[in-house]
Amino acid sequence: MNAAAEAVKQDSDRVLAELVLGGDEPAFRLLYGRHTPRLYLLVLRFLGGMEADAEDVVQETWLKATERLNTFRWEASFGSWLSAIGLNVARESLRKRSRREEQWNDETDMAGPAPRDKVDPLDLERAIRKLPDGYRTVLLLHDVEGFRHEEIAEQLGISAGTSKSQLFHARRAMRASLGGYGKDDRHV
Amino acid sequence: MFDEPRDIVPHDELSDAERRAFAALPRELAPPPALEERTVVLLRQRGQLPIPLSTLRRGDVSRRPSWWITVAAAAAIAVFFSGLAVGQYIGMRNASIVAMATARNAQEAADRVQRTGDLYVAALASLGRLSDTANVAERDRARQTAMAALGAAAEQMAHIAPDDPLAAAVLRGLNLRNRTAGSEPPSRSVIWY
Repeated sequence: MNAAAEAVKQDSDRVLAELVLGGDEPAFRLLYGRHTPRLYLLVLRFLGGMEADAEDVVQETWLKATERLNTFRWEASFGSWLSAIGLNVARESLRKRSRREEQWNDETDMAGPAPRDKVDPLDLERAIRKLPDGYRTVLLLHDVEGFRHEEIAEQLGISAGTSKSQLFHARRAMRASLGGYGKDDRHV
Repeated sequence: MFDEPRDIVPHDELSDAERRAFAALPRELAPPPALEERTVVLLRQRGQLPIPLSTLRRGDVSRRPSWWITVAAAAAIAVFFSGLAVGQYIGMRNASIVAMATARNAQEAADRVQRTGDLYVAALASLGRLSDTANVAERDRARQTAMAALGAAAEQMAHIAPDDPLAAAVLRGLNLRNRTAGSEPPSRSVIWY
């Protein structure tokens, strides 16, 4: 999407949000329909493919967003703001789930099949889903959503160094899960 | 959830194949349609979206438990039979009042007949004591009046008690007297009560 289209969308989001603040249900449904598919997939990946949990998180995200809508200052895009709320709700859901993160053995992980130069998106989704929660969070924010380490650090309440470290281990674990694909054409 | 930062973070870039793979990942996925409705309903419950009137009406009915209809039917039946009982009570009470009033009127009438009869008999007795001094015409008029009064009283007695032998005997005697009176025209007397 180009800048002009983004600006139009942002303006449109703002108009819809103001209508929602006035209790306009059709405006809410428009805003919901515009942003939820992206939010839903983001949350679904964060939660490792747990659909029921993802639905609960999306619902809670919209409840919180609607509640705090009058405090949003429109310095960022509505979608980014909504994703940040969704990410916090998803992290809270992960904490409640108290799932023990898998302990990865680096040496075992790195010993995989022969490298491949292509990867199936479904395999990649599965590999991301299998990652421990902390690894998966940073990998998704950095490699899928395109955030920088400083932004991730601010969003997650960690240092940028921790973010980089988590990303390094997340990628190694992902490659091990995929069977070492792509190592042959990696740019180092 | 997150490991502590390590002093040395190895430099690690994505390969071209990895970049392509990440770029090929979808960015959107439609959630189940029911999720939107669930969210809207929750926002309405929290007062952040208005509740449509039509939903309110449907909601009121659907929120009512099934036993509500049974209770409502029982209440309606109870109200109906209560009304019936009250109506019957009021009707019986009115009938009793009417019956009591009728009985009271009958007793008053009987008392009046008794008093009038006593006065009439007393008047005849007074006329009898004065028979020596009264002229024949006055005595005859008094006798005719007394006989007419006796006949009227006997007829009324026959209406009240058709089997009363005394009233029947009086009426037979008066009829016989009238028949034996011959061509003598009966004198007409008007009795005013």
